[in-house]
Amino acid sequence: MNFIRTLLQWVFRMVPWPTETGLRTVGAPDRKSPVLVTCNYDMTVRRVVAALKGVDAWLVVAPSSGVNVWCAAAGGHFGTPQVVTALKTSGVADRVDHRKVVLPQLAATGVERLEVHRRCGWNATFGPVRAEDLPGYLESGQRKDDAMRRVRFGAYERCEMAIAWGGPAALIVGGVGALLRPGWEWPLAALALALGFSVFFAYDRIPGPRRWLFSLAAVVASVVSVRLAGGSPAALIAAPLCAGALSFILTYDYTGSTPIESSILFDESRFDITLDLERCKGVYSCWEVCPEACFEKPDPGADVDLASAEPGRKGRTPILLAHDDRCVHCGACIVQCPLDALAFETEEGERIEPDVIRTFKLNLLGTRTKAVMGAEVGAR
Amino acid sequence: MSTLALMRLLESAPERYDRGMRWLTLGRVDAIRAALAEAAVAAHAAEPPAVLEIGCGTGALTAELLARDARVTALDESPEMLERARARLHDAPGLEFLERTASEIDHFPDASFDAVVASFSFSEMSHGERAFVLREAAKKLRPGGRLAIADEVRPRSPVARLLFPVIRAPQAALGWLIVGSVSHPLPDLESELAAAGFRMVARRGWLGGHLALFVAELAS
Repeated sequence: MNFIRTLLQWVFRMVPWPTETGLRTVGAPDRKSPVLVTCNYDMTVRRVVAALKGVDAWLVVAPSSGVNVWCAAAGGHFGTPQVVTALKTSGVADRVDHRKVVLPQLAATGVERLEVHRRCGWNATFGPVRAEDLPGYLESGQRKDDAMRRVRFGAYERCEMAIAWGGPAALIVGGVGALLRPGWEWPLAALALALGFSVFFAYDRIPGPRRWLFSLAAVVASVVSVRLAGGSPAALIAAPLCAGALSFILTYDYTGSTPIESSILFDESRFDITLDLERCKGVYSCWEVCPEACFEKPDPGADVDLASAEPGRKGRTPILLAHDDRCVHCGACIVQCPLDALAFETEEGERIEPDVIRTFKLNLLGTRTKAVMGAEVGAR
Repeated sequence: MSTLALMRLLESAPERYDRGMRWLTLGRVDAIRAALAEAAVAAHAAEPPAVLEIGCGTGALTAELLARDARVTALDESPEMLERARARLHDAPGLEFLERTASEIDHFPDASFDAVVASFSFSEMSHGERAFVLREAAKKLRPGGRLAIADEVRPRSPVARLLFPVIRAPQAALGWLIVGSVSHPLPDLESELAAAGFRMVARRGWLGGHLALFVAELAS
């Protein structure tokens, strides 16, 4: 049963899959055990529970409309209200003697750490990006090494995304193929799946006008395949048409399905992240939450206890924005900075205030920028 | 293109909320809110009652309450929803909007409201959240105060219960497309009210019992 559920969740990755919210126990937690928060996307909760094997902890599942942490946090479904609600209504406060909670790092675009404290008294820290790093993180006294702070997009993650996009495409194209001409369903489904894998394994390595090059390559490859297989003239027309169309669809927002590039659908992809050195007092919360490790601490030996970081604290050297070329414009650093030292800047040099980023989630249709700058930016 | 469609759906959509609610309730939503406001302030004809509204959304029920001379403290967790509610009602006298979740009603002093009201916000909460909010609501009411909740419910008659999933599925899908969130029709609010220390005063149904108004008082 679990295998079927996992398979369905791999193929229909883009569909919300809510699970029950509230408090769960992992192992045999006591009044001193750590409290962790996650979203209520079924696959995430199962992975977190599996990763915590051998650990005693309280797991608070917060309502995120059944969407994963990263998408829900950016989309306004997993933010401060949801975390406050979960911490207050789950009853976890009655089960532990402390008020320390570990949030998923990728929730940092939506959940404001200091707001959580102000609104319900819990001291929140952002844990590792990946659930499997949780035991190591907890064991080391909640220290994150560099690998724990960064997103990965290796072969495994690429496979997952290839199936998430290629799988539904194969079902649709295969279904249409079966209706058009019996016997076409399998070749067409295979084509869709192959394209899915090609996109997620090769697309980021193509230089130049990659969308056209990729689609052209897919068309040529499909013609060659039909020829080699001795397909009918009809197949010789259908296969390249399908390959070209699918390539265009699958590459449309490839960037938005990876953590290594900024989604082209958001206005933010055209913005620059800016650091105001006058305002930065070295709280380093940006360093803590950036999933691409764009920031570097000036003194590699210095370590910061972020739980005690307060707005206005002085005396630390400003952070270095050393790798802004890696920025994927998630806005987590802007949302978390207690001193508003970070902001987006438009191509015209106009500053978009941090509060706008905190208030308006998911800028797909430009609502965030329109809200402060008038329609001209969003409409461009 | 597919991503665009998916992300569009993921986006929370306050601007579509009012229209969506009207469609989803087949136009009953205004009448339901009027009935709710009437029930909440009915017992306080003499002076303006203090009303706490949980999850005010775009302020539709808030407007009904203000029209009946209530002083309203309206909570919503979404700044975008509150922005719309403020645009609708400006700074009407006796009105306060607060960006807070329902779970934060414990911040108010005990016995500080004549009525606690909510329209279509309880069905967006989990059972645990509702239990917490109802327990707290009981503390915040003054003696003789009223709790009035209008929401989607699971029908009570066996036949309607049998047909319910068939009718509900397309409607839930539509609701998700239009409003961007999925509600969970309340399975048994009366029991939950009783568990939190309330006594039912009145219940009214619309659309074959699919939508209901619950009016309750403190049991003791």
